[in-house]
Amino acid sequence: MNAQPLGQFEDWLPGGGAIDLPGADLDWLATARQRALASARALGVPTARHEAWRYTSLKGLIEQAFTPYGAAAPGARPDDLEAHLIAGLDSHRVVLVDGRFAPGLSDLGDLPAGLRIAGLGQLLSQDPDALQGRLTGVAGTGAHLFAALNTVAMRDGLVVLVEPGVRLARPIELIHLAVGTERPGVAQPRTLIALGEGAEATLVERFVGTDEARCCTNLVGEVALGRAATLGHYRVQTEGAQTFHISALHIALESQSRYRGLNVGLGAAWARTDLVARFAGEGAECDLSGLYLAGDRQLIDFHLDVDHAVPGCASRERFKGVLHGKGRAVFDGRVLVARDAQQSDAEMVNNNLLLSANAEIDTKPQLEIYADDVKCSHGTTVGQIEPETLFYLRARGIPAIEARRMLCLAFAEEILADLRPLGPLHGHVAELVGARLERVAFD
Amino acid sequence: MLTIKGLRASVAGREILTGLDLDVGPGEVHAIMGPNGSGKSTLSYVLAGRDGYEVTGGEVRFDGDDLLDLDPEERAQRGLFLAFQYPVELPGVNNTYFLKAALNAIRTARGEAALDSVSFMRLMKERLKVLHLDETLLKRDVNAGFSGGEKKRNEIFQMAMLEPRLAILDETDSGLDIDALRLVADGVNALRSPERSMIVVTHYQRLLDYIQPDHVHVLAKGRIIRSGGKELAMELEEKGYGWITGEEAA
Ligand SMILES: Nc1ncnc2c1ncn2[C@@H]1O[C@H](COP(=O)(O)OP(=O)(O)OP(=O)(O)O)[C@@H](O)[C@H]1O
Ligand SMILES: [Mg+2]
Repeated sequence: MNAQPLGQFEDWLPGGGAIDLPGADLDWLATARQRALASARALGVPTARHEAWRYTSLKGLIEQAFTPYGAAAPGARPDDLEAHLIAGLDSHRVVLVDGRFAPGLSDLGDLPAGLRIAGLGQLLSQDPDALQGRLTGVAGTGAHLFAALNTVAMRDGLVVLVEPGVRLARPIELIHLAVGTERPGVAQPRTLIALGEGAEATLVERFVGTDEARCCTNLVGEVALGRAATLGHYRVQTEGAQTFHISALHIALESQSRYRGLNVGLGAAWARTDLVARFAGEGAECDLSGLYLAGDRQLIDFHLDVDHAVPGCASRERFKGVLHGKGRAVFDGRVLVARDAQQSDAEMVNNNLLLSANAEIDTKPQLEIYADDVKCSHGTTVGQIEPETLFYLRARGIPAIEARRMLCLAFAEEILADLRPLGPLHGHVAELVGARLERVAFD
Repeated sequence: MLTIKGLRASVAGREILTGLDLDVGPGEVHAIMGPNGSGKSTLSYVLAGRDGYEVTGGEVRFDGDDLLDLDPEERAQRGLFLAFQYPVELPGVNNTYFLKAALNAIRTARGEAALDSVSFMRLMKERLKVLHLDETLLKRDVNAGFSGGEKKRNEIFQMAMLEPRLAILDETDSGLDIDALRLVADGVNALRSPERSMIVVTHYQRLLDYIQPDHVHVLAKGRIIRSGGKELAMELEEKGYGWITGEEAA
């Protein structure tokens, strides 16, 4: 294999100080890091010639010359967090500041029996056995260069372990708070969520920051669902206007398990999300949905990769986008149905609303089906607000601009409705979407 | 209240309204009947201000003002209401939210204070009762997944909420079962008042048994070709349109 230079991203690797990475003394982790490094060097820096990066230029990311934060603990004050909290959302709260677990800002009192929540760095030094066979077990070397770099360089993040049969009453809320330093920095947090057989949990994962912070998030998440386990995973990305966001989430589903993931992409200047799901046992269900809004100087990119490796599983992908100003978005949904994966059920929909002639969406649903007894469908639309619909609202006295906003909100609500069981979270996100649409100049 | 003189309008380059005259006074109910494709819905849309309908001649005055000069929302704010022949489905837009936005937009435009939630809910429940409608309607999205008849009833509910001064009902009776027709007609009658005028487009004389019109007009080939009283509707029911359109041609 050819070892390729990684240019700017050489800096993202731990330098001579790799020794100070947590878990440096663990053989299994050292092996995983070595494999990831080899994979990174084999992959090299993606360019527009790589299909998965065709519409997603790294130019801006490279120009920013982000470098990793050091080993020092981050300096966020409670005030930095306060502005981002959602009133009335009752949760087990974990805060990562620039990728580092911040116990002082977290709220982990009253954890029920069978639920373990810990910082990754902490667990690597105190109880690494709890991680062996799990950490990197789902993601492998990762979806792309950045995921591989995360594996090589990860030092902290979040671990959630739910014992078999445990059903959590309260959601877990993970807040990724980007604060940043003078120097543009990259945080490379790692999350591992593992649910035992029959366990049930809800995870709210939020990415927040300020418009002033010049920083980058390079996250890798791993979700391992045991037999008949159920996870509701609600991810809301509202990072600041100068933030670059990369996140790769890998999900492994044992038989009869259910994963229901909702991804809201509103913030950041440039955001790339990979959702990679693999069925490992029959009768499992994976539901991925998403809503993205992209405006001026903003790119939002979702890549989905669902692997029906075994028979009898169902996957559903439902993504909707609203593009305004000079906003750009990419939707690349790939579903693979293996030859033996009979009785698979796969449905993929991507609908986009273009509010301006300068906005752009590149959408590419791909179904690769090698089995013959399957139910698969996909549909993509790119359109504007229907004149007939707009007229109906205006004929009731609602001014044109307000009518357009209402219709955009309604379009978004078809996805956001899934947040309703989470009460205040739904209100919070609907308000953010509404506020964004307030600023959109229609026509 | 509404005066239409020599109105001509084209859709997609084809002239549909060919010089239409109509005068509707305060409190009057006018029925318009006519063959399929004669231009009844076109007239409704031109009055409500839908895009794509090019007015090529004539004029329309509403309370003395040039109606055609106004945006659709301004017309609604001044009290014009169109119950659509084919109401639009709005998935994701809750009925209550929609009506509140509409009513308050109209009130604000008239310089009245917006209704608070409590008064608004009270008003909605009162109007639902008058129309014998179920409260579940308030929780549903506007017309989304509604049956044909439910959509028509929802149009009448909206009319009851917005209290227009001129209501145009475009075939609100089509697709209604006998009981629903009765309910809709009762609802419309409950809204009749000396200040509220109505134009009722229908194919069926039966509706006019329930909603007694002051005038009946026959629209054919884009013009009113015959006007009369209630007895004209009965004659049409008996003899068909050929009786008049034929006479016209002769
Ligand atoms: N958007 C359009 N493009 C082309 N032709 C149109 C359009 N809208 C209406 N027309 C034509 O205009 C004519 C009048 O249509 P309109 O809908 O007004 O008839 P109507 O009297 O309401 O008929 P019905 O009783 O069937 O409802 C028809 O010939 C119709 O095909
Ligand atoms: Mg019609």
